Amino acid sequence: MIEITPRSSAGWKAMLAAYVLALFLGLATSSLLILASGASVADGFGALYEGAFGSRDAIMQSLVAATPLVFTGLATVTAFRAEIWSIGQEGQMFAGAMCGYWVSLYLGGTTALIAVPVIIAAAMMGGAGLGGFCGWLKTRFQVNEIISTVMLNYIVIYLLSFLLAGGPWTAEGSTSYHQTPVLAENFRLPLLLEDVKLHIGFVLALIAAAACWIIIRKTPLGFEIRALGFNPTALRFKGVNVARTVLIVMCLSGALSALAGVSEIFGVNYRLRGDVMTGLGFTGIIVGMIGGLNPIGAVIAALLFGALANGSLYMSVLSDIPPSLVPAMQGILLLFVLGAAVLVRYRVRFGKRADV
Amino acid sequence: MNTPTLQARGLSKSFGPVRANHDISFEVEAGELLCLFGENGAGKSTLSACLTGLYPPDSGKILLNGERLRLSSAADAIRKGIGLVHQHFVLVPDFTVLENIVIGSERGAIVRYAEAEAKLRRICETYEIDIEPNALVEDLSVGEQQWAELLKALYFDAKVLILDEPTATLDIENSAKLFRIMDKLKADGVALILISHFLDEVMQADKVAVLRQGEMVGIKRTSETTPEELTRMMVGRDLKPQVREATPVGAPRLVLENVTVAGQGQVPALDSATLTVHSGEILGIAGVAGNGQNPLMEVIAGVRRAVSGRISLDGVDIGAMDARAIKDLGLGHIPDDRFIQGLVRELSIEENLILGDHRDSFARRGFLDFYKIRENATRLIKAFRISAPSPETLVRNLSGGNAQRVILAREKRLATKVLLANQPTRGLDVGVIEYIYMRLLEKRAEGVSVLIASSELEDLMNLCDRIGVLFQGRLMGIVETEKTTLEEIGLLMAGRPLEDAA
Repeated sequence: MIEITPRSSAGWKAMLAAYVLALFLGLATSSLLILASGASVADGFGALYEGAFGSRDAIMQSLVAATPLVFTGLATVTAFRAEIWSIGQEGQMFAGAMCGYWVSLYLGGTTALIAVPVIIAAAMMGGAGLGGFCGWLKTRFQVNEIISTVMLNYIVIYLLSFLLAGGPWTAEGSTSYHQTPVLAENFRLPLLLEDVKLHIGFVLALIAAAACWIIIRKTPLGFEIRALGFNPTALRFKGVNVARTVLIVMCLSGALSALAGVSEIFGVNYRLRGDVMTGLGFTGIIVGMIGGLNPIGAVIAALLFGALANGSLYMSVLSDIPPSLVPAMQGILLLFVLGAAVLVRYRVRFGKRADV
Repeated sequence: MNTPTLQARGLSKSFGPVRANHDISFEVEAGELLCLFGENGAGKSTLSACLTGLYPPDSGKILLNGERLRLSSAADAIRKGIGLVHQHFVLVPDFTVLENIVIGSERGAIVRYAEAEAKLRRICETYEIDIEPNALVEDLSVGEQQWAELLKALYFDAKVLILDEPTATLDIENSAKLFRIMDKLKADGVALILISHFLDEVMQADKVAVLRQGEMVGIKRTSETTPEELTRMMVGRDLKPQVREATPVGAPRLVLENVTVAGQGQVPALDSATLTVHSGEILGIAGVAGNGQNPLMEVIAGVRRAVSGRISLDGVDIGAMDARAIKDLGLGHIPDDRFIQGLVRELSIEENLILGDHRDSFARRGFLDFYKIRENATRLIKAFRISAPSPETLVRNLSGGNAQRVILAREKRLATKVLLANQPTRGLDVGVIEYIYMRLLEKRAEGVSVLIASSELEDLMNLCDRIGVLFQGRLMGIVETEKTTLEEIGLLMAGRPLEDAA
């Protein structure tokens, strides 16, 4: 007889062990896939490691890839902690990037010292506006936030398509690429190092994670967010304006997602285009979940996923592994890690069932 | 004489250490209406669950037409002719009435809708139930849903029909109609068991079985008893109010004038309530749970809004204030449902102890003041004897009694002027109950106005200076504890106005 019972809280040791096991099993399963394709497992994993951690440049690139995931992961943490199931990270990220770009059109030759903060602020307002709108729909008209955020994702993403595919923002002569002209130097996020594209967005991400942790753990608002997730009725009975809290949470989550867009467009690509952002919002949901809806956990999960994304790029170039196997491997790893996340919440006992 | 349709012989049922039913025997004949009468928790619902196959009894037996009956499930009971009309509806809202009745209860893979519909229409006609079998349940009013629930039982030709507080959701007119239908069922030879708190209904039965603390106190023919006697049997003794120490009653503090709270149907949840609680006074609210206690408490605490009327605390109009502002005026509120309305189970004791006050007393420069939070928790855990390993213990790991102490500690700290206590002792054991009452009396001695709603009549008689009685959202009257009797309050609780009782 196998008995599975929920446990009140998993210790960090149990969690670490579960995640390491999950990574190991995920890689083992992936290796079966590589074997089946006829490529060498050792070569494949070697390349993956090389690409993710093999050199200083590789490590820096992994951090760059992790940056937007930290933001969308944190956006997930803030919303899900309050049991608001926002799936709008993707759209809010696009909205952020678009608002940032739109404002930059009016900034002309202002110095980066002014232009960059203005762009960041505009982007955050855009993301917060979109998130807040869904929060308002939820509290005012009881519109399910899953529906509203998912649908608005499409609207925002197709709005960008319209603007870029021959619309007003399309770069001259590049209609087929669906992108804006290159951003002026003064709009770009300053780099931390001369030779690698590690930009200040990474530092911002770490600051944002710390801020989220402080808000959730140390402030009355965070207290309400945590309580809201468990029991909104008790909050209402104690005079907390639950609608207002929901609105604040959705604005906060939207603003964080927007920063992912800023970091990708103004920190890495220097052009506004949709394809470079695609999926980062949804991955952020996974990052937040794997991080145990904890800001610090989300940073760790984002670093892992950044490394994986970066390393797999290298792997597909350097080994015989078909490129199409890379997303499959990511999916397998995800399944195992999510499985571990569920598993640590339960205690599994083998043997006779205890009488209750 | 014929064999009784249903006989219960020595039924017992325990849940762990709690004896819900102990050695209960009774019988109902065809065409007879038996009423099960008793306080909340007396074991009425457990008994009906045993009779309808929801729980197997621990010991004892049930005989149907003289034959031993073994029920494996509720569906089994229905097939054997024992129907139950639930107190809470168990209908699927987006199915039609017909589908609700037929699906899941017909045997075989194919449902013969036409046949079923014809049968249902026939039943509706016979009993003059005006309901469309093809109407969606969600489009029905609460009263009509009660009819659908009844049809469900009639459809299977029940020989025994158990009605669990069926009039709780019906207005007076429909209640009367239900009793007419019950008369018709009696004429058709159905044995009826009615579970009720309302004396008016109880007296319409042929005989009354009184339950107290899981035991059968006695069975009386209604023709040979009085409502007063039944009430006395239900409560257990002839109570004499305790001699209270005379404390000077202060100035009016909490004043309600014609406060009305909207209900779900046309009937208001609280109908034009007027009352005054003075400082240093405990005003009790008696009444069967669900007769307007929650709207009354919640409208004062600022959780609900009144549609009309005026509420003031020390002369300040609080009718438009939110719960936080009212709390700041010195009001504490122990809500009805401790784990849903009062506590966040997944937060710790110390966090629950600051709930509601977390932006005020326990915040400093925008951050939570953890030193103060811990100090508050340590002090209250000790003062209120909350047994837990640490202030960080999650509330979900506490027993009901300890959880209630957490709420009591929190609200008593806030209640410098008014303390509202809504069913504060429900489900708790005697030790904790005494402790809670002691704390409430302390508040009274401090000059705080205490408003307590409870279905424990006996306790109210001991605790309160005055007692108001709620029945279907209306305050039937407020009586001085010293000058009243249990019978008088019992009659008010059952919906008889004061003049009748005299």
